[in-house]
Formats: sequence, C-alpha cells, structure tokens
Amino acid sequence: MSTRTINNTQEFSWKRFFLQWEWMLVALIIIIFLINSSISPYFLNYLSISDATMTFLDKAFIVFPMVMIMIMREIDISVGSTVALSSVVMASLYNAGLPMVLAIGACLLVGALCGFFNGFLLVKYRQLSAVIVTLSTMILYRGIAYMILEDQSAGEFPTWFSFFGWGYIGSVPFILVLFVVMAIGAVLLLQKTVFGRRVYAIGSNPTASRFSGVKVDKIKLIVFTLAGLMAAITAIFLTSRMGSTRPNVANMYELDVIAMVALGGISTAGGKGKMLGAILAVFVIGYLQYGLGLINIPAQMLLIIIGVLLIASVTVTNLRVKGKLQKKKSKKKVKKAS
Amino acid sequence: MSEYVLKLEGITKEFPGVKALDNVHFDLKAGEIHALMGENGAGKSTFIKVITGVHSPTSGEIYLNGEQVEFDNPKEAQYMGIAAIYQHVTNYPDLSVTENIFMGHEKIGKWTRRINWKQMHADAKSLLESLGSDLDPKTEMGSLSVAQQQIVEIAKALSSNAKIIIMDEPTAALTHRESEELYKITEQLRDDGVAIIFISHRFEDMYRLADRVTVLRDSQYIGCWDVDKITHDQLIVAMVGREIKQLFPEKQNQLGEEVLRVESLGQIGRFKDISFSLKRGEILGITGLVGAGRSELCQALFGIEPYDEGTVYFEGKKQVIKTPEDAIQLGIGYLPEDRQAQSLILQWEISHNISLSALTSISKKGWLAEKKEREIAKELAEKVDVKTKSIFDPASSLSGGNQQKVAVAKLLTTNVKVLIFDEPTKGVDIGAKSAIYQIIVDLAAAGYGIIMISSEMPEVIGLSDRIAVMCEGRVTRVLDKSNATQEAILEASMSKKVNNSKVG
Amino acid sequence: MTEKNRMNLATISKFREFGLLGFIVLLTIVIQFLNPAFLTLGNLTDLIKNTAILSILALGMMLVLITRGIDLSIGATLALSGMIAALTVSAYPDLHPLLAILIGILVGVVCGVVLGFLVSKVGILPIIASLGLMNAFRGLTFWVGGGEWISAYQMPSSFKNIATSSFLGINTLVIIAIIIFLYFYYFVNNTITGRQIYALGSNPDSAKISGINSHKIYMIVYTMMGGLSGLAGVLWVSKFASAQGNTASGYELTVIAACILGGVSINGGVGKVTGVLLGAVLLGVLDNGLPLIDVSPFWQMGIEGAIILVAVLFNTIVKKTVEKNNRLRRVI
Repeated sequence: MSTRTINNTQEFSWKRFFLQWEWMLVALIIIIFLINSSISPYFLNYLSISDATMTFLDKAFIVFPMVMIMIMREIDISVGSTVALSSVVMASLYNAGLPMVLAIGACLLVGALCGFFNGFLLVKYRQLSAVIVTLSTMILYRGIAYMILEDQSAGEFPTWFSFFGWGYIGSVPFILVLFVVMAIGAVLLLQKTVFGRRVYAIGSNPTASRFSGVKVDKIKLIVFTLAGLMAAITAIFLTSRMGSTRPNVANMYELDVIAMVALGGISTAGGKGKMLGAILAVFVIGYLQYGLGLINIPAQMLLIIIGVLLIASVTVTNLRVKGKLQKKKSKKKVKKAS
Repeated sequence: MSEYVLKLEGITKEFPGVKALDNVHFDLKAGEIHALMGENGAGKSTFIKVITGVHSPTSGEIYLNGEQVEFDNPKEAQYMGIAAIYQHVTNYPDLSVTENIFMGHEKIGKWTRRINWKQMHADAKSLLESLGSDLDPKTEMGSLSVAQQQIVEIAKALSSNAKIIIMDEPTAALTHRESEELYKITEQLRDDGVAIIFISHRFEDMYRLADRVTVLRDSQYIGCWDVDKITHDQLIVAMVGREIKQLFPEKQNQLGEEVLRVESLGQIGRFKDISFSLKRGEILGITGLVGAGRSELCQALFGIEPYDEGTVYFEGKKQVIKTPEDAIQLGIGYLPEDRQAQSLILQWEISHNISLSALTSISKKGWLAEKKEREIAKELAEKVDVKTKSIFDPASSLSGGNQQKVAVAKLLTTNVKVLIFDEPTKGVDIGAKSAIYQIIVDLAAAGYGIIMISSEMPEVIGLSDRIAVMCEGRVTRVLDKSNATQEAILEASMSKKVNNSKVG
Repeated sequence: MTEKNRMNLATISKFREFGLLGFIVLLTIVIQFLNPAFLTLGNLTDLIKNTAILSILALGMMLVLITRGIDLSIGATLALSGMIAALTVSAYPDLHPLLAILIGILVGVVCGVVLGFLVSKVGILPIIASLGLMNAFRGLTFWVGGGEWISAYQMPSSFKNIATSSFLGINTLVIIAIIIFLYFYYFVNNTITGRQIYALGSNPDSAKISGINSHKIYMIVYTMMGGLSGLAGVLWVSKFASAQGNTASGYELTVIAACILGGVSINGGVGKVTGVLLGAVLLGVLDNGLPLIDVSPFWQMGIEGAIILVAVLFNTIVKKTVEKNNRLRRVI
C-alpha cells in the first residue's frame, strides 16, 4: 500500500541508560555501604555483608508478586496476615503430629489459598477495590491464626528445619541463594515473557487489554495466588529463624513490602516500574537497617528514615514525570517556531 | 442594545503547534435556535469552550448584548448568563438531583451560611416541572437515565438564569422518543426568549429545530445560512469541503462463501432477535441511532459481554463465543469505538501496541521474541501507512488518524477472517478518513469479511455492500446497496416495526 | 417503566443502614439472652466510652475516603500527639488539661497538614504518602519518648481525669464524641464546603468545571483528620494512662473497617455520618459483647474480619442485582 519505510532498529543511548531510576538505588546502596564502613570497621567484610541478608530477606520474597500487583494498579495488604496464618498452620500441624515435610506443604497450600481467595473476590466482583478486599481478609486471616493458636506459641521443630533460616550453601546463606535465584526468575518473568508484558498491559490500560484478548482475570488470579505463595515462603524462613511462631508474627509486613516496592520506582498508578528496582530497594532498606543496628541507633530511627526515603523517592519520580512533560511541550513549541 | 445577544468576531485560538480556530465569526439572536455544524475536529468543541470561558481566545472579540467582554474562567461566563450542556454528561452521580442543579450556586442562609435545603428542593422541583418532568429532586443522579440527566442539566442551566444555553450533541445518546422530548423542551426555552446554540451531527436535529446554521470546517468559518434557504447537498459540501463521492475509493471486492452467520442473537435489555450473515469479501454496514444496540451487538460477537441467546456459526460450524480470546481464536477481530480507552495503550511504543493481541504467536514458549516482534510491527505499520519515523515512538505521539491505523494494524497480527469496525472514522480528520476507507476496501478485496458500524450515513452508503439498520435493539431493515438511500435508512432507524421486506 | 417502581441507589443506602441497625439490634438481643449483664448501665457506659474514640476517628476517615483518599498514618499521628501531650504534662504537672488537649490537637494538625500538602500539592497518592508518614511519625514517637513509656504515675491526675470525669452525669469522652458527631452532621450536610467534599469525590473532573478548589478541599480533609487523630491521641493516653511508642499501632485499619461497615465507599463520593457511627458501634458491640458470652478473645478478630467481609460482599451483590433488574425491565 505504501512506500514509506519505518525504522525498527533502536540506537543504544547512554543517556537513556543512565537515566533509569535503578541507578539512583545503586547509588543509595553505595552510600549506605560507605557510611556503614566508615562508622563500623566490622561492616566491610564478606561475612557480615552476606550474613546481614539473613536478617532482612525473609519478607523480600513477597516483593516479587507485589511488584506485579502494583503494576496492575492493585494492592495486597493481607500478605502479613497470610504469613502469620500459614506459619501458624504449619507449626500447629507439626505439633499435632504431622511430619514436618507435610506441614511445610500445608503452609504453602494455605498461603496460596489465601492469595487465591483475594484474587477470586476481586475477579468475581469487579466493583470491589483491592484495598477493601485485602483489608477485610487481612483481619480475617490473622483472626483465623488467633483462633488456631490463641495466645500460645508453637515450635519445637526438628533441627533440620532451622536450615532455612540459619543454613549455608558453601559460605553463602541459603536464604540469599534462594532469593537471588528467585530474583533472577522474577526479573525474567516480568521483563522478558509474554506474561510480564501482559501484566504491564493490564496496569496501563485494563480495558484495552481485555479488548485485545488478554485474559485479565486469569492473570490477576495467578498473581494474587503467587502473592499468597510467596507469603508462605516468607513464613517458612521467618518461622525457621525464630524457632517458634505466634499469631502476631509478621505484623505490618505488608507495609514494609509496599514501601520497598514504591521505593523501587513502581508507581501505584500502574503500568510503570521494573522488578530490578524493587529488588535493589530491598537491599537499600535492608542494609540501612543493618547498618543502623551496627552503630546502635534504635530501630525506630529506621522508621523515620524509611518514611522520608519513601516520600522523597516518590516526589522525585513525580517531578521527573512532570519535567518530561514540560520538555515535550517546549519541544513542540520549538518545532512550531522553526 | 444590539440585535444580537452574543456576537463573536475574528476568533482565533492557537494551541502549541495547532491552530484550533482560525478567524471564526458567530452571532446569536435572542429566542433563536442556532445550529453549529461541522465534522469531527472542525473546531466546534474549542469554539464552545471559548464562549464558555474555558479557553480564552488568542485574538478576536466577544460581544455580549453589544458590549465587549472577556472571560477568564467558566465562572465568569456562567455569571453572565451563559451555560453549557456538554456531550459527556458532567455531573455528580452520587449526589441528589437538587445538588447537581445548584452546584456552584447553592442557596445559603444570609448569616448562618447554612444550605437552605428546603428552598433548594422546592426550586428544583418547580424548575423540573417547568420542563415537564416529574422527577423527584431528591433522587440520586446516578440512578437516572441519560435522557433524564440531560433534563437535569437543562434545569441546572436555567437555575443560573442562563440567557444563552449551549447544547453540545445532546441527542447523541438518546433514543428517538427521548430526542422528541428534548426537542419540545428546547422549543419551549426558545419561546421563553432563551438563545440556544445547538451542536449536532444529526441533520434531523437541525432541520427540526434550528432557525439558522453556522458551519465550521478545518478550524475555519465557512458560512452562516437560514436553514430553509440552503439545500441538503449544499450543506454537506460546506461541511465536507468537496463532493462526498471522492471520499470513497473504488471497490473491487468479490463476494465469496459465507464466513459468519448469526441466528436470533439476543442479550437481555440490550438487543434481541438479531440474524444476519456475512460473506468473505463483503462489507456489511450496521447503522442506526446511538443507543440502538449496535456496539453492544458487536461486542457480544467479540465476547466482551457475552450474548444470552441465539447461535453463531463461523465458517459453517456452530461456535460459542464467551470471551475475547474465543473470538480471536476463531478469527474475529474487533476495532473498538474508543481507540484511546479500548484499543491502544497510549504511553506504549507503537510496536508493543501492534503486538499485544498476538503475543502468543510472537513468542517462543512464553518468552518474548523481540526481534520477530519488531519485524512484524514494521511490516504492518508500513502496510497501513502509519506516519511515523520509528516503531519505538509512543502511540501518544501520533495524530488521531494514525493512532487508528495502529489500531487496525493490531488486528491484522492475528489470523483473522472477520473484522468488526466500530465507528472507524470517529474523531479522525478527513485526510485520514479516506485513508482508513482505502484500508477497509483493500481488506475486503483481500477476502476479509467486514462488519462496519457507523452513524455517518454517507460512510455507510459509500462503503457497504449491504446495510442492516438497527433501532432500539432490533434490526428493523436490511438494505441492499442498490436501494440504500439516506431516507430509507433514516426511516428504518426510527421505526420500531421490524420489517425485512424490501418495501417499507 | 415509572420511576417509582425503580429501586435506586438511594433506597439501597437507606436499606443498608437499617440492615446494619437491625444487625446490631439482633446481636444485642442474642448477647443479652446469653448474658444479662450486657444491657446494664455500667456495661453500656463502658461500651459507649470505648466506642467514642473509634467513632471520632472514623468520622475524620469518612471525609478522607469520600475524596477517594486514604490515611494510614492516623495510628502513628495518634501515638505521636498522645506522647507529646503526655511528656508535656509529666514535665509541667500543673498544666490545665484543656491545654494538653490543645497541644495534642496542634500536633495532629501539623501531621495532617504535612500529609495534605503531599497529597494535594506534590501529588503523591494518598496511600503511599500516608504510608511514608506513618513510618516517620511512628519513628518520631519513639524518638521523642526516648524509647520509654510514660506511665500512669508520671501523669498528673488532672490529665487522667479527662477520660474518667463526667459532665452532667455523662462521661467527658462521650460528650466530646457527641459534639464532634453533631458538628460533622451539620458540616457535611449543611455547609458548602461539606458538600464540595462529596462533589469532589463523586466526580473530580466535574468539580473542576464547577470551580471547586480541590487543593483546598484536600488540605481541609487531611488537616481535619490530623486534628481529630491528635485529639484522639490525648484521649487515648488519658484513658489508658500510658503513652508508648507503639500506641494504637494498626488502629488505622480498624477505623477504616468501621467506615466500610458504615457504607462509606472507598471509590469516593459516598458516606454518611450516621452510617459511620453505626459501623463504629457495631465494632464496639462486638468488642464488648463477645467476651461477655464467653467467646474467646482470640476468636474476636476472626469474627470481626468475617463480618466485615460479609458486609462488603453483601453490599456489592445487592448493588449488582439491582443494576441487573433495572436492565431486565428495559423492554425491547
């Protein structure tokens, strides 16, 4: 029909490469490392850097699905309660005589079911917002955890179970190995597969996605189920590290996770942000926490820093978006003048 | 005191990079209904926004009752007695009718600053009654039909003592009967001395109501005529700028065997008892007034909102379509009416937009094949002639017509046999329009079966091989190319009787 | 089809409120039947006193939700202002309790202004902005308190009396809650600003055309929420006679739950003062009544969660059915 040719190769641009939010996070990690090592001579050795991850990586598994959930313009605030419920179920089933392996299986199953239930409600009743649904189930799931254990704690796990929280593969903590493997998987899933592309499509324009044959409901269901499953994995590591569990564990985890995802550059307005950013944000907050612990700054100060960091980063992202728009406008004006 | 309540002279409005209005004149007498006509993108909406103070003109003068005025914001225009009823009803669905009427000029106690509900409800009631409506002013706005909401909007305009009321496509979403009600109210207002600017795409609206008509085209003023002194053809030439026949390309399509057959399809409350068939290479036009159930029918065929009864045969086999994936799998493509909301992801690059429906085939075991994606995107973008430098430009950087071409390219990625176009030229300028017609005709020639929904009669008549006319959820008539005239279509789109015989 | 036959959304909301009231009555009867100690003056006073703080916060949250926002920082704001007020009175025991209340409100207002600024001017989504501030305020609370508790013996009795004293035989907490309730009822129904809050939440685009200053409305709403949290902070610390870093941690979610039970829509534009009050009372009755009928305190949360979920689902299902019925009635 036409003779026009359209370019389909893209030149690599260093400027575009370095303008990514992820570099900001890398810079933050470097700054935190510098400060930490200047304050404490013990920080900058391999052992403490890798061992530190044991203290903060447990909840980081939930970051993977939460990134996808927030890219799809949804949110899940029930994940902390899901951690508690699946942990409590695992411990009580074991204490009731079930073999530990089966108890772990039950933990994963319960987590996945919790996530599936959230997704199911959202898909079945489209008018409901995720905030309401997951707020209700947040109270419900933790409530069930309380029904099971009341004010008791459960534990006395077999010794091998402590491997999850305290074990090493070679000299690397097991949790770090698993996290890195899963992180690579999550980055590939979101950035390089059809599934990931569709997640972005849903977040950018849900109607157009449906009209384009994207199975919006199915994808939402999968991602929410995944969130439950990852919460169960968090439960396993957390329970293993603590050696016992109570219904009030993992309190406010959801907010920590959301903070990490937001700091990672994922906008709650949907469709934007990368998995890598959130993964870097996990380490920013984790090492910040660890460093403050080293110099005996109370954990509460960390709250202030995380809060300020979160708001500052979102503000900067907002300004960047606004700046881009203005640039576009002025470009148009220039065109007209010429 | 001047003869005109409103007079605009030499209005020019420039936006960065575009001249939206170029030296436009307009005048309005008291007690007159003045139609403003022009194609989409002719500048009508911008012009209205200048009158209502949303935009201030780059140059030109506005006179109100002979005195020059300048509006800095909509409130000032409102205060001077100008009110607008917009195309997309802009109201507060969760609030009561009374509040919607009085929003922005609530009645409050002098000292207490307390809202005087009793008086407001009473005033709303009497306003509505003066418009012949028995709506309860305490009803929630969101529970009303579009026609009722429109009456509330008119009441709102009257409540601010408007002397000039602008109606922007008020009949667009109304049924025939509801439009008739609106005509009566409009005439009553005119008789009470209100000046009305009436914008509409429908010629019938204009003939029924207006005293004079002003035509805009390509942001420019074309002329102003008394309605009874201009012929229909002259008016079309004024609006389109050339003989309409040139717009439509030569058709070379050959009808093949049947590809789609629909038997007594129905969806509760939307449409009923729809039967038709479609051959390869055929263009079937579906027309009728807005709200007749055309889009609903086609969206049901595409599985967006599944049909409740009836059967669909695709290539002779009975099929069930429940989701868009089912339809795509069968080989049905749908070009939605609102490309920005329903088809494109504007912030995405063109290539990603084109590939979205076909990701399964442009991938290996779930992994994106980016090289293949780029090749397909380039090939299709060139095929439909998208005016862009690179497939990596965002879709938002394209003009309306080129966005529509990307939306068409997107359909061609999958292995489709039937294409459904829902108002394919809505909001597209004339140049791009004929390009889109060319694409449709070429696709038909290439053997695709095409269903085209359109409200624009020349378009339907110019392109279709057969035309199905719908009214209030039913097909009232199927016309052959040979006996398709504007009159026949108009009549069928307003008759409630189902009539499949050739003689009406 | 005449208008009268049509069940519209307004009737649903009335129906909802009566349903909620009916449920509360039913619950009361059941609890009373199982334990006659429930409907006694002493227990009822206790119930109302406990509900007072929740309902004060829920009213503020209602306004925030109506503008399509959310405020997760109120628990932290409450703790911070409670802590600062407690520190002040323990340092100056002769301070008039009214001044202590004012200090608390002031701290809350400052917190609210910061959030309002972030939401309206900087344009951060409320859920993220308030989440960040929640962390920051919580951290500040620990910081100003030096990580210590302020316990009963450090507070002058005049301060503790705020919550225990009564006026005309009615507990001060309850009086404060009633005043705020009446004020809100008037504010949202009879003032232009009040109605503009609803208009903004119902359709932000139209609000622009109507000339409603959205920045102003957001500032007002979040500042009020902050001020009420500050007030609640002082009342809370006075009632429990202790101020800690983790006071009212997670309480924001209970407050939001009360609003949702009361029929406030998280999509904006919808919410009634009476509904929110009923929502708060229902949670209060559950809190107070379940232990009385020997429901283990550990079952309470699960029951509450289930009730909230059922209420939310019930609401949606009714709405869906009504919409479908309206469609069915259309004749073609």
